[in-house]
Amino acid sequence: MTHYFFVSSWFLFFLVVNMLLWRQFAMEWKLYARDRAAMFWTFAFPILMLLGFGVMFRGGDAPKLSIVWVQPVQMAPKDTALLKTLEQFPTTLTTLSPIEAETRWSKGNTAVQVESTGDGFRMKVNSYLAAQGQMTAQVVQQAFLISQSQLQGQPMPKLIPVSMESPGHAKSANYAAFLLPGLLGMNLMSMGLFAVGMVNVSYREKGKFRRLAVTPLPKWIFLMGQVMHRLTVTLIQTIFLLIVGRLVFGIENQGSYVLLSIVMVIGTACFMAMGFALSSFADTSETYAAISNLLFFPVMFLSGVYFTLDAAPKWLQQAVIVLPLSPFLKALRAVYNDGAALTSHLMGLGLVMVWTVLCFGLAVKRFRWA
Amino acid sequence: MSELALRIRGLKKQYPNVLAVAGVDLDVKRGEVFGLLGPNGAGKTTTLEVIEGLTDPDSGEMEILGLTWKQNASEIRSRIGVQLQSTSLFNKITPREALTLYGGYYPKARTADELLELVQLTDKADAFHITLSGGQMQRLALAMALVNDPELVFLDEPTTGLDPQARQSLWAVVRKIKSEGRTVILTTHYMDEAEALCDRLAIMDHGRVLTEGTPAELISQLAIPSVVELSFEGQAPEKSAFEARLGTGIQVRGDLWEIPTPDPKSLLPRLLEAAETEKVPYQQVHVRRATLEDVFLHRTGRSLRE
Repeated sequence: MTHYFFVSSWFLFFLVVNMLLWRQFAMEWKLYARDRAAMFWTFAFPILMLLGFGVMFRGGDAPKLSIVWVQPVQMAPKDTALLKTLEQFPTTLTTLSPIEAETRWSKGNTAVQVESTGDGFRMKVNSYLAAQGQMTAQVVQQAFLISQSQLQGQPMPKLIPVSMESPGHAKSANYAAFLLPGLLGMNLMSMGLFAVGMVNVSYREKGKFRRLAVTPLPKWIFLMGQVMHRLTVTLIQTIFLLIVGRLVFGIENQGSYVLLSIVMVIGTACFMAMGFALSSFADTSETYAAISNLLFFPVMFLSGVYFTLDAAPKWLQQAVIVLPLSPFLKALRAVYNDGAALTSHLMGLGLVMVWTVLCFGLAVKRFRWA
Repeated sequence: MSELALRIRGLKKQYPNVLAVAGVDLDVKRGEVFGLLGPNGAGKTTTLEVIEGLTDPDSGEMEILGLTWKQNASEIRSRIGVQLQSTSLFNKITPREALTLYGGYYPKARTADELLELVQLTDKADAFHITLSGGQMQRLALAMALVNDPELVFLDEPTTGLDPQARQSLWAVVRKIKSEGRTVILTTHYMDEAEALCDRLAIMDHGRVLTEGTPAELISQLAIPSVVELSFEGQAPEKSAFEARLGTGIQVRGDLWEIPTPDPKSLLPRLLEAAETEKVPYQQVHVRRATLEDVFLHRTGRSLRE
């Protein structure tokens, strides 16, 4: 009998508590939806990023090398031969008069400039665009050698055919497919650092927490209502991005949605805990804005949201691997882009979870209502 | 049921750089409006925060409605109503929503309509919080403090920063709260507010209660219950010669000379004569009863507004 009473009173307790929680959650959404501009940008920003960068770097072909050709007074046979040979290479040739070419060169917009001298050629490479310039210069050298041998009556040699491939990313080679999981990660991090952390600091600063503290509302219900609201916002953002990715760029999740969800949940917990922890280190919104931006931007750029870090120095790669965003994105891309299992990413996800536990512990220890 | 709404003994609270509350004893009876009066930094707000359970005291005993924070925290919260010094709400929440939301946090709650009517905000019931005037926001904060039909209501500087008209309408609400049988504890640094609203009050400074009683008692405790004021156009002139001739101390306050006296009737003729002889260019003479302001000045040696 007592047992029955015990169970039913717990059941009643949860019913009441959940009603409070539900009401808190509904109110969060109601007030959030009133700030139309903020809500619009929260959802539109990642989509615009995907559309913008996805379209900008869409070209399936390799980018062409650009060369400025200074128009000589009269085209010699060697000039015609060189230009014709260059057509065989992936280059874009812009022909300019000597004056136009000089203007463009002095503005620093030209990577490589080639001009005909009486018996040969002269080539200038812009040191600021060295990476592209040197490659282009070598292409021009090769084209020159080929054109020379052609002028001496030898046939045009056959170039080695090149095929562009993305090993390990076979089914999603374009940039949008790389970017989309990166944006999902960025959403999570900005949700944690800005929506959770910033709001906490401002509630504490403005005394909203104090007003709640004099009511009998259990504090965890208030926090849980907030957390649930942020989770639903993130879920909607994720769904929007996946839909736009599919409709506009034809990219879709190659792996299982269960694994994708697991990775997302692990990341969400981590960045939310991080927001809570970080918010305990600032007393004013201004201080918090400084701290969170200081963290957000380097982590975002160094963790492979927008570009892969394969070309970055080794020490940098090892430094960012300790931060949670990078291993999280690796696991997310493994599922989304390659349809892989998570077995080879257990270490990375473990690291993310270590971050979660540390941040959560820190947040609980340092959390203040006033 | 306990006769006292609040009983405090030896309350202390030390902050890193200041002893905010330095041993306070208070008894507040049920049904009265009790005022904590004092300048900024006197320890009124900290005392209130400790009573409201927002800050833990370092030492001291405290019973609220016969309950203690240690044993009955949730019950205390359900039975008290709190208006903090500033109440921050969402910009785009309406008074009706705020009252319904906060009412939902309590086991028993008054309806939003009833409360809006009480604080005369019915016509602003569905306006966004950010569009309310200072007085309206303050009345909403007051309504929120009443949402749980509390027995004991705390108001921390309820009229600071309001214009005279808004203050009057807030006072009317406080009187209505009292007439409903609730106990009210309020802090203020306005003397007229304390005189107009409080049944009893305690004057605080430097974390201590200096004196306690009804406004009339506190004033009659003063040895010098009347004050003669001479007003001047612009700054009051040098007073020493006049002081010497009159043989009484003078306090200079802006464009006023204040001369406290137990017997204004005998002082006045001498004063007018001395003023004539010394050619004091006064504009008006005014005799008034001493106020709480004078009590405060007498007790602390400084004015409340300093």
